[in-house]
Amino acid sequence: MPSSPSQKMEVWNRKAHFYLGLYFLFFLWLFSFTGLLLNHPQWRFAQFWPERKETHYERPIQPPSSVSELDRAREIMRELNLAGEIDWPAQKQAARRLDFTVNRPGNTNRVSADLVQNRAAVQQIQINSLGVMNVLHTFSGTRINNPAATRDWTLTTIWVVAMDALAVGLLLMVLSSYYMWYRLKHKRRWGLIWLGAGVLSCSFFAVGLGWLR
Amino acid sequence: LPKSFYTWTRDLHLYFGLLVSPFVVVFAISVFFLNHARLPAPDSATTTAVTRSVQVPVGIEQAEGKERVQLAGQILSQVGVAGEINFIRSLPKEHRLIVPVVKPGVEITIDVNLKEQTVTLSERRTAFWERLSYLHRSPGPHNAAIRGNWFWTRSWQWLADATVYLVLFLSITGVYLWVVIRSERKVGLILLLTGALSFVGIIYAVVA
Repeated sequence: MPSSPSQKMEVWNRKAHFYLGLYFLFFLWLFSFTGLLLNHPQWRFAQFWPERKETHYERPIQPPSSVSELDRAREIMRELNLAGEIDWPAQKQAARRLDFTVNRPGNTNRVSADLVQNRAAVQQIQINSLGVMNVLHTFSGTRINNPAATRDWTLTTIWVVAMDALAVGLLLMVLSSYYMWYRLKHKRRWGLIWLGAGVLSCSFFAVGLGWLR
Repeated sequence: LPKSFYTWTRDLHLYFGLLVSPFVVVFAISVFFLNHARLPAPDSATTTAVTRSVQVPVGIEQAEGKERVQLAGQILSQVGVAGEINFIRSLPKEHRLIVPVVKPGVEITIDVNLKEQTVTLSERRTAFWERLSYLHRSPGPHNAAIRGNWFWTRSWQWLADATVYLVLFLSITGVYLWVVIRSERKVGLILLLTGALSFVGIIYAVVA
């Protein structure tokens, strides 16, 4: 049994390292695998878009009573039995129309609602399981090139929390690994060489490339 | 299994883990910027515009895809700009080409006037967070036909792939190193199952 505080710390640090690793194992595998797929769109087995299934349908709708566009879109979604993250078109909405896209991994619904005729046309696109995994990698409800885009679906927020938790878990695992290495005196020198190689190569890309002409 | 296998696995887990750890930190920290795009705001956006004369390569207007990128690369070297050509936008009526060039830390837009044989350069120094998120997304799935047109983008792609393979190696060896410790099997198994259940549960809720 560990007696001194440093020994206790060492034991708990090691436990935290593999407990975190075990809990996040499947999340880590998903993001690792899809990271490879996103980096290699030319891999034939990973090309999910040509395999997509598209369907179109039109339905009568009740005119939405809400004032805001978001609430109106939600009313129409309820009528069409759709759920997901709402994506708005870049251009301004035309008068007496409401166009938006409802996204969830694997399923995209482009809704064009005519508020005069009280009809909604829906283009539904479904992708295969590899496509779903790809979308999960980037499904955050926000866009880096569009700060105005905000999350509006609770399940997107839950997925984002899961992604954030994985990131925090990985950072804690890195820190705990540094402590475990530091405690192994006879491995410090070789460890420093390996860590130094990683830090130098990574810093070159994160900092050095900006100054390269 | 022989003890040497355990020792080798433990040492490789340690050293490969240390090697890949800075890359894992970059990918993990950038997640917060990518997931919460409004936070933090870019802090170093400066734009400068410079106009210079250049020799426009013959056929750049008609060329497409990789060939056009190669010809645009000749303009880049004339004005001393290095980086990944993001895309090339042609404005034929105005005899102009817009060539955004990116690399971690800098975004340069090259506006080529084909008639007057001049280019206007606009440069924006990006914040540290933007650099990390650029690296996280690079090279990515967009504009695959021309992506990796800069040596260092291809190098980063290789390193990002290596990071994934090493992380997979570390996770597998990590599971082995946990299984060896008998006293930790029960708690570890509970956590592994809890993780698997939350993984499947969340994905089922989001997808189904």
